[in-house]
Amino acid sequence: MSAGGVAIEGGAAPRAPGLSLDQRVLAAYETELLKLRSQLAVRLLVLVCAVGPFAFSALLKVQSGTPADALFGAYVHASGFAVSLVVMGFAGSWGFPLIAGLVAGDQFASEDRHNTWKTILTRSCSLGELFTGKLLASATVAVAMLTLTMLSSLAAGLILVGGHGLVDLSGNLESAGRSLALTIVSWALCVLPLLAYVSLAALFSVASRNGIVGVVGPIVIALATTLIDLIGKGVWVHLLLIGSAFGGMYGLFTTHPFLGPLVITSLVSLVWIAACVGAAWFILRRRDFLAGSAVRAPSWHAPLRVVAATTVIVAVLAVATNLGPVGITQHRLNAAIGGAFNNVSLLQQRLIGRIAPAGAKLDVQPFCNRRGAKSQGPGDWLCNVYVYLPQLNAVPFQRTNVEYDVSVRYDGCYKAQSPPTFIGGPTMTDRRGRSVVNPLFVVYGCFNTL
Amino acid sequence: MPGVEAVTASGLVKRFETTTAVDELDLVVAAGQVHGLLGANGAGKTTLLRLLFGLIAPDAGSIRLLGRPLGGPGSAALDHVAGFVEEPSFYPYLTGASNLALLAKLDGEVPAGLIDEVLERVGLTERAGSRVGSYSTGMRQRLGIAAALLRTPRLLLLDEPTSGLDPGGARAVAALVRELADQGVAVLLSSHQIGELEKVCDAYTVIRDGRVVWDGTAAQLTAQAPASAYALATSDDDRALVIAAGVPGVRAGRSPRGQLAMSVPEASLDALVLALGDARVAVRRLELLVSPLESMFFALSGDEKVDELEPYDLAERVLAGAGADG
Repeated sequence: MSAGGVAIEGGAAPRAPGLSLDQRVLAAYETELLKLRSQLAVRLLVLVCAVGPFAFSALLKVQSGTPADALFGAYVHASGFAVSLVVMGFAGSWGFPLIAGLVAGDQFASEDRHNTWKTILTRSCSLGELFTGKLLASATVAVAMLTLTMLSSLAAGLILVGGHGLVDLSGNLESAGRSLALTIVSWALCVLPLLAYVSLAALFSVASRNGIVGVVGPIVIALATTLIDLIGKGVWVHLLLIGSAFGGMYGLFTTHPFLGPLVITSLVSLVWIAACVGAAWFILRRRDFLAGSAVRAPSWHAPLRVVAATTVIVAVLAVATNLGPVGITQHRLNAAIGGAFNNVSLLQQRLIGRIAPAGAKLDVQPFCNRRGAKSQGPGDWLCNVYVYLPQLNAVPFQRTNVEYDVSVRYDGCYKAQSPPTFIGGPTMTDRRGRSVVNPLFVVYGCFNTL
Repeated sequence: MPGVEAVTASGLVKRFETTTAVDELDLVVAAGQVHGLLGANGAGKTTLLRLLFGLIAPDAGSIRLLGRPLGGPGSAALDHVAGFVEEPSFYPYLTGASNLALLAKLDGEVPAGLIDEVLERVGLTERAGSRVGSYSTGMRQRLGIAAALLRTPRLLLLDEPTSGLDPGGARAVAALVRELADQGVAVLLSSHQIGELEKVCDAYTVIRDGRVVWDGTAAQLTAQAPASAYALATSDDDRALVIAAGVPGVRAGRSPRGQLAMSVPEASLDALVLALGDARVAVRRLELLVSPLESMFFALSGDEKVDELEPYDLAERVLAGAGADG
């Protein structure tokens, strides 16, 4: 058939001489890091993570308002740790999905867009090694972004606001050291759900071969998650959503820390990571690397299909959100509000110079219900807190009623705000004549929904 | 490992839905051989190269590269195998040098200075620091060759390596291929520029509709090829026509512009020239219009029988086809 027959001297040579499997994965990892570092979007992201918290903190500094709807938001002028935790809260909703999309969502699709699969697959690394290297690199960059944002937000908060302790989610004033530790642990606990979003972005990237889908997909999912979190009484669907772990750490900020939601949502994140990575590998290893099918010009058709599919899934999940035991109950909210009100009342007394012994208890009876709806589930509640104050006259107790509008989240965290007529404005004057946050004006808290 | 062929493909089949792109194809490329892969558009050349690189999996058949069975993308059989299929592709946001450094890292690093050396070898030293997004097609082609050289290959698979290059660049690539082959590197070269192939190839495989329709050495091809076509200018064209008609195997005619064109088997060329000289008809110009390889390619890849075409018609069709993509 063919001519010739010249023998090859030396025969089969070892593959990528001197490199073990680990080293080939490391080589793939390093090349992916190099590519990510060279991309404009990633460089801009680094800039935003480094400068954004400072800009946010500086903006808060020059205005009197606060992002009070966010947990700890009312304290951004009082504690630098609150600044960091508010940034973390925003990041959990939008920032981390965006980071995941930008670092992982285009990583596989860009090989199709640049038609470079054939370039890298004809070198010394296998598809599996490249896949592993890409995932590790995007995970590394995403975690680096998280770390950078944490450090930047802490630095911004401590420099521009100060290192005063936090008022925790049971209404107690924490020391600066404990506040710092809780803040750092909270950021660290965001790593798992962040990696879940990274895995999801990688799956979108592999499955769609479209960078737009990979980048926007996690944000669309985050939006859908936010919508689903607003409805439904059951706990299961909420716990199983990909972003649920971003709220798991708030149980650590209470007088009696509860770890159930944290453990479950962390495990859920691990399941999401395994499922997304497994599915991405399943799809990738079965595809042919053909020019015609590989090079798909970026288009909005695929993203629109993803949005349509997401809408259907959200509708199904919305129906399913009532499944499982009810997490937000009247009894739980009453107990949480009562305890928190007791603690912030004592804190207020201390701030104005009165003696309030540690562990002191007021006679507080909260009663929470929902207007026009069954008293359960996340949403808007109305809580009347009845305080019985002892008197030295014929009537042994004076009953005072404080009314709070309470907004309760799916994870049992809430913000309670009272009209100024009841408990004064958002700030008050302490015993030294300084303007400080009135701890009774906005009360934050969390309770275990399991 | 004495006796090991650089490429051994047997019974390869690749189907895409209802189309069979490669059909029971066998191919052997010997070490140190420059092997030309010829075929018309859609003949299956690029699919074959993708199969050899493991980028697509065959539906049937087997492939061994440098004696090792090919498994899939990134298979161990691709060690010391380099090249590219279709146009070389790189990351446009990285410089040429950075792209090579990245690929070198995937190969487990390369000796110090090799990147600079290969860049210089393909004439890209001055643009090494520019982003690939600003490169012309020819520059990307040269960078593709540089990327292949980084792997110190023993088997090069090149798909249209001179595409987009100026004549000087194409000659340089041909010379480089020949030099590598002389050093023992096997080269499988797919090209539609038959003239470039003829300068460097030791053997050829012609495929049509995914099947091998001819393969053999350059010498076998010359011997088996249909008659070549020549343009002839003499001191007396009318007499030359009469004399040519008397030489066995020669067919002569005039082009629409009145120029002489002849179809001449390799063995009859000397007899024709001598006959013209004996008749005192001076040969002023004898120009090869269609080489043996071109006429063979045309005969094997086209639908018409080359021997039945008028010489000038054959030449025009071949020359017209030379501009098409392979």
